[in-house]
Amino acid sequence: MKRREFLKKTAIGGAALSVPFILPSGRLFASSGSRMANHVVFVAFAGGVRQQESVLQQYLDGSQDYPSAGNIMYNLLDGAAPTDKLVYGTNNENNENIPIPKLLSQTLQQQGTLFKEVNASTVGHYAGVNTLLTGNYMYSQGLRAKPLMPTIFEYLRRHTGEKATKCWFVGNGIGNSIPLLDYSEHDNYGSQYGANFLAPTITFGDDGEKHLKNAKIYHPDDELDPMYKMKYFLDNVWYSQGNALPTIGNTVEEKAEIKQFVKDMFVKKENGTIAFPPSASNNDGQTIGYACEVMKRFKPTLTVVYLSNVDGCHANFTSYLQSLHSADHAVGHLWDYIQNNIPEMSGNTSIVVAPEHGRNLESNNIKDANAFYGYDHSDSNARRIFNLMAGPGIDSNLTIGSETNGVGDIVNITPTIAEILGFKQEVINSGFVYNNNSFFDLI
Amino acid sequence: MKRLLYLLSLILIILSCRKEDVYELNEVHASSYNANKNKLKSSNQFISILYANLFQEALSANELFEISRCIQSIGDKEVAHEIVFSNFMNKNGVIIPSDSVMRDDLDAFIEETYKRFFVRDITEAEREFFISFFESHPYVSAEMVYMAFAMSNEYQYY
Repeated sequence: MKRREFLKKTAIGGAALSVPFILPSGRLFASSGSRMANHVVFVAFAGGVRQQESVLQQYLDGSQDYPSAGNIMYNLLDGAAPTDKLVYGTNNENNENIPIPKLLSQTLQQQGTLFKEVNASTVGHYAGVNTLLTGNYMYSQGLRAKPLMPTIFEYLRRHTGEKATKCWFVGNGIGNSIPLLDYSEHDNYGSQYGANFLAPTITFGDDGEKHLKNAKIYHPDDELDPMYKMKYFLDNVWYSQGNALPTIGNTVEEKAEIKQFVKDMFVKKENGTIAFPPSASNNDGQTIGYACEVMKRFKPTLTVVYLSNVDGCHANFTSYLQSLHSADHAVGHLWDYIQNNIPEMSGNTSIVVAPEHGRNLESNNIKDANAFYGYDHSDSNARRIFNLMAGPGIDSNLTIGSETNGVGDIVNITPTIAEILGFKQEVINSGFVYNNNSFFDLI
Repeated sequence: MKRLLYLLSLILIILSCRKEDVYELNEVHASSYNANKNKLKSSNQFISILYANLFQEALSANELFEISRCIQSIGDKEVAHEIVFSNFMNKNGVIIPSDSVMRDDLDAFIEETYKRFFVRDITEAEREFFISFFESHPYVSAEMVYMAFAMSNEYQYY
């Protein structure tokens, strides 16, 4: 064979091999990695959590100059609870604070790996959660704007072909631009790979009771089918001249499933059978309860749950401690619920827990009813967070890093989730993450 | 002879000058094909316009705020809009033709529906589709038609 002919055939062969395959699921390539677990639950333990009251377990000693230390997150972390001046938990009839009983027989720290001192370079809520979900610091990212870089939801759906209902983002409200984080505006990804967002405390709260509860469920064949036929005709006419609408790509069946889920939740709420944590007094607890219901119904491959009640710390340190304690209880319940009530996910799910940023070392001047000072998030102490993960293939009872030896960065979380679900290489190949290392690479 | 020819020519010229009919075009006011809609409605705009289309009255500010929050709480906007629409349809006061009125004059019904929801005239192709669709689907109700229009992409724009 002549050299020219050889080069030509080689080039054609190489090009043929590199042409992407369109798989039945619509994705371009099969994901290259094997999965450590079939499901991931990522709890964005957000709102700004100080290291001092979480992993360092200093309680009032590290914040109010009161000599009472101890662990108020005893479902997540090892350590004895404080014994003096307890201001968290539930109130008994004597108006005393009773800590919420521990739920998990083994803490998540014992069940998994704790990165004790992790860097988070952004100290704003939206920027922080954005970084948690994209694995990238987007310093030019504006508020009230969709992420500039692809989210973990889009990586998952584009590279593994997951359906929209296999990907959920459950938020504890609609503030802080949180609903915008279901997908990015990146050209290569975008809405068609987005997650199903739900803010259940709104959907099933007072507003939802008034404006969503009474919704009809149309018959799929007799009513919805002709309705969709007419809609498709109208849309086809419109496409010839108008703009396409962003859609996250739920199929007709998936949409029907979501509508039925919404309907069912109102019934369950009325019957008092939502899977709330035993003590679910605030938005975070309620959100976790509905997240459990979402998981039970849809068995998502990826569920992200956003909590943020601890942000009350700006002006009410007591409520911050209470929210931290409640969030620990709620996450413990979530993990327990998966293991004991969702057989399809039990033993086959990994959990990742991380705040989006910390809080200041020094307090502000706002005192609460207990004369405790509040804390904002703007100094270097606010860049300190932890990361906790547990599940199949994740080392148990392992602690990495210390207060003086930080290991890991908030941007390692996206590659970590991708590695658990077997598409880390695709995420790296995209070139849109700040750092290619997962937390597994740092062990 | 010359005079005779001249006279004959003159007579022929006079006879050939007849007043012609003049045809003019009547001006018809018709909306353009997509009515130049290129702006996406905000959640608030969508809700208030939908409410006005269905109830023929304005939605209160409080309700607008509450429904807007509900829509924001569900990521798939198509699903959220469908739920809100069907919730409206379960309320009293929706102004919608009965199915018998709709079937009595399909042509008028679909013309009115295009004007009500799309604020434009129906094209002949669209008329053809809907009339034939209604005839082949005798159980399609006015509510289903309204829902299809309210959920359509064109309705999301103004």
